[in-house]
Amino acid sequence: MAVHRPLKLACQEQLLPGDTLQRKWEFAARAGYDGIELRGRGDFAFRDRLPELRAARRDGVVMPTVCVDMRHFFGAFDPEQRRDAVAQLKSQLSVIAEIGGGAAQTPASYGMFSRRLPPFEPPRSEAEDREVLLEGLAELGEHAAAEGVVLLLEPLNRYEDHMVNRLDQAADLIREAGSPAVRIGIDTYHMNIEEADPAAAVLAAGEYIGHVQVSDSNRFQPGAGHIDWPAVLAAVDAIGYTGHLALECRLSGDAEEAVASVPPFLRRAAP
Amino acid sequence: MTSPTQATAAPRHAGARDRAELRRAAVRVLLRNWTGRSTLPSRSLYPHQWSWDSAFIALGLRHVSPRRAQQELESMLGAQWTDGRLPHIVFDPATPPDAYFPGPGFWTPETAAAQTPAGTSTTGIVQPPVHAFAAWETHLADPGESRRRGFLRRAYPRLAAWHRYLARHRDLGGSGLAAIVHPWESGMDNSPLWDGLLERVTPWPPGSFQRRDLDHAAGGDRPTDLDYGRYLRLAADYRDHGYDDAATPHAFAAEDPSFNALRIVSEHALARIAAETGHDPQPHESRARELTRALTASLYDPGAGLFLARDLVGGEPVREYGAAGLVPLAVPGLPVAGELLATARGERFRLGATRLVPSYDLTGHAFDPHRYWRGPGWFNVSWVIHRGLMLHGAAQDAAALRASLLAAASSTGFAEYVDPYSGEGHGTRDFSWTAATALDLLAQEEAAA
Repeated sequence: MAVHRPLKLACQEQLLPGDTLQRKWEFAARAGYDGIELRGRGDFAFRDRLPELRAARRDGVVMPTVCVDMRHFFGAFDPEQRRDAVAQLKSQLSVIAEIGGGAAQTPASYGMFSRRLPPFEPPRSEAEDREVLLEGLAELGEHAAAEGVVLLLEPLNRYEDHMVNRLDQAADLIREAGSPAVRIGIDTYHMNIEEADPAAAVLAAGEYIGHVQVSDSNRFQPGAGHIDWPAVLAAVDAIGYTGHLALECRLSGDAEEAVASVPPFLRRAAP
Repeated sequence: MTSPTQATAAPRHAGARDRAELRRAAVRVLLRNWTGRSTLPSRSLYPHQWSWDSAFIALGLRHVSPRRAQQELESMLGAQWTDGRLPHIVFDPATPPDAYFPGPGFWTPETAAAQTPAGTSTTGIVQPPVHAFAAWETHLADPGESRRRGFLRRAYPRLAAWHRYLARHRDLGGSGLAAIVHPWESGMDNSPLWDGLLERVTPWPPGSFQRRDLDHAAGGDRPTDLDYGRYLRLAADYRDHGYDDAATPHAFAAEDPSFNALRIVSEHALARIAAETGHDPQPHESRARELTRALTASLYDPGAGLFLARDLVGGEPVREYGAAGLVPLAVPGLPVAGELLATARGERFRLGATRLVPSYDLTGHAFDPHRYWRGPGWFNVSWVIHRGLMLHGAAQDAAALRASLLAAASSTGFAEYVDPYSGEGHGTRDFSWTAATALDLLAQEEAAA
């Protein structure tokens, strides 16, 4: 009787076998995925893929989101790198809009600084961090809104980013930035490290969540670690989330088998 | 059937979309009331872990997260005393000691001969033993996860010790049935069943204690100060005798049909748990049969067509008709199930015309549709009756009760209890076992479809 929203799953492109998006899609669809999450490299490489992406779309490949794949981000200490990251993201937002997708995801930074590793004190104050992030989110939110898509801010764990680690921090920034085109892109691996109760964190930030990436507690595919998937997926369902759950992880065991194991595993664990 | 007591306007078959939304709302309640170890019955009114609440919560939580449902029961079992009793409240260390009265400072179980586990703070009385049943049902929700965590292997000795405590220390009447020594042990705290028995108890004087329940709920829904004074006297007397069942001069002792019926249901579950974990199920099956015979012989009243509580101080049956007397319907192989079904459908409980099974006789002198356990319908009791209806071939009554319960859970925002006629909600909201029993019935409905 009860209507269960079918769990929509996507898989990041580099995890799929095949040398074209069409071949990757064949594998993905056969394994039970409903979409492919793209990776957006810098130097406008993602824009340069437009012919390939348009052809893939024509051939029926569903590409709902792009996840930024660069070495510097819109929260960088260096102003030049910030400007470039914003320019790259704007371009990626435009491209994903053109190929029928809905969102581009980025962290504030990745691998730039950790307060848990030496030298422990970042070169920029928290207030300055905040100013930089709000400025970037406002500009990116405006561009995303104009393109009719969404910019996703992803909290990373404390070893990978020193600015935005938890959903409540992301929600707080998004509230202040004030753009409805900026949402949180949650990642279950980072949440497992940072959130006292991942399911409760999803409920609390529910209205701001725009995307979900999945990997287990050890960064391997769901099922290879110890995340309480039924609880997390129940929370994601209970906030009314209807988007894709995108697989972003490392693979343990045989790569193809690992990728194919995820859809049945998650659908069994889902409410 | 045109009297004003007839239930009206409850949508009997809500749409699938409504069902899905109800399920999500129930999930939100259980996720929000989770503390990391167990589930609070209510964030405002009941900020600790309650014994039978946990068991009913696990029945719903297993559909959200089998692991959490196991942890819920493990948290309760982790507070077990050395004599085997499971305390009726495990106090949450994160909650201020004065947030609930009577709190940790009142009970002082460290004065008891039987010991509580280090680092836990509990009350010294008990609640109905629904735990083995809940543990087995939780196992069934995901046997793989259960075996991987060694859930039943670890739970079985504690559940068996709990049942052993009841057999060894609580058979105050000599019939084999377990006695309760405080109305709160029935779980149906303020039921009119206990009024006459409580009259013998000298209350603590009003003004000598500060209740906290009235901070969060309307006074008209809650027990009176005089009742509260008596509850405290009984608890203090038991405490002052070290919670020693044999040494306490019990001013209150009764055999409650609901407590014992749930014990039998759990004894059957213990047999299954024993078999699953490589122990002998036979002793549990034998005991379940013996207890079913004792329950029927001692507490069934053919004239009333209902099980009655027995006053062990006065030695007489308690001639008050409560939903506790219908709970034995959930006992497998009950010889008087047909008679009990007729009583459920009769004028005292009006199954099919009431929203939830009323906690007390609709025609009774003390009936009050709003006051705590003196008439309102409670979701856990109706859930148990629903199980009994399914067990004894009354599938249509069960389906109607299920639909009505789900409608009431939805329309009241998971109220603690409801007016049995109007379905109007009372007590606290976002009440955990209301959400849990609704979730389980949604799952049953889905499985049946």
